[in-house]
Amino acid sequence: MNTAMTQEELERILDQAVQDVTERTAGVRLQQEDMPPGEDLCTVHITFDQGFHTSLTLCADTSLLSRMACNSFHEESISAEDLEEFSKEYFNVLCGRIARAMFQETQVPAHFNPPTFHSGRYEPEGQEVQFVLTYSNGQREGAQLIHHVPCSQEDGAAAGKA
Amino acid sequence: MSKRIMVVDDSRLVRVQLEDVLAGTEYEIAAYCRSGEDAIARYAEVQPDLVTMDIIMQGMDGLDAAEIILKEHPEARIVMISSLAYGDTFERAKAIGAKGFIDKPFYQEQLVRQFEEALA
Repeated sequence: MNTAMTQEELERILDQAVQDVTERTAGVRLQQEDMPPGEDLCTVHITFDQGFHTSLTLCADTSLLSRMACNSFHEESISAEDLEEFSKEYFNVLCGRIARAMFQETQVPAHFNPPTFHSGRYEPEGQEVQFVLTYSNGQREGAQLIHHVPCSQEDGAAAGKA
Repeated sequence: MSKRIMVVDDSRLVRVQLEDVLAGTEYEIAAYCRSGEDAIARYAEVQPDLVTMDIIMQGMDGLDAAEIILKEHPEARIVMISSLAYGDTFERAKAIGAKGFIDKPFYQEQLVRQFEEALA
C-alpha cells in the first residue's frame, strides 16, 4: 500500500481544499499569489496525530479572517470571540477536507485534534517548515498555509504513515 | 408540518449555516446544543424528529454522545455532520446506529437528501 505522497500531490490537495472551502464557507476567493500576511495576523494550527505525523498552520491577516467571519455570520462586525470561533471552525473544516483527500490517496486515516487559535504568528515546536502556500484575496489581504514536518524527517516524502 | 431538528455542535458558525441551508425547507431547528453532554440531557425534553451531531467537540465527542442517546432512546434518528466523514470514523458511526453522515461544508441538496433517508 502506498502510504506516502509526493510534495506536489500534497500541495495540490491543500490548494484545492483552501480554494473550495474558503469560497463555500466564507464567500471569499483566495488565489495563490505572493502576498504574505502583514504584522496584524492570527494563526490557527492542527497536528495530525494519527497516521500522518505532520501539522498544518494557517497564518492570515486579521482583516481577512474578520472579513470571512463577517460573511459567514452575516454580520457587519464581529467580536474577538467570534473571530476565534470562526477561525477554528473554518480551519477544522479545511483540515477535514484535506484529511479526507489524503485518505483517498493513501487509505491511511489522518486524525487531528481541535484547532488551536493564536493571536500573532505561531510556530509549532519540534517541527520545521516543509512548504508554504501563499494566498491573497485580491484586496491586499493575505494568508499562508504552512505544512510542517518533524525536524528529523528526511526529504523525499511529504507525508508518511507512522 | 415541520420536522424538528436538534443541532449538536460547538460552533455557532454551523448553526448559522444550517439556518441558511434549511430556510424554505420543511425542517426547522428546534433546539441547539453546544456539547454532547447537553444533547444527552435535553433529548427527552426536546423530542426531535432528527438530531444532527458534530463529532469533534470539546468534552464528550459526538460519537460517544450519539451512542448514549441511542441506548437511552433507540428510536432516535441521528445524522453525523463532520469534517471527518471517512474511514474508521465513518465505520464507527454506522456501527453505533447513526442514520447518515454529512461532510462539512454541506450543501442544501445533500443535507435534505440525508434527512429524508434518515426519516424514511
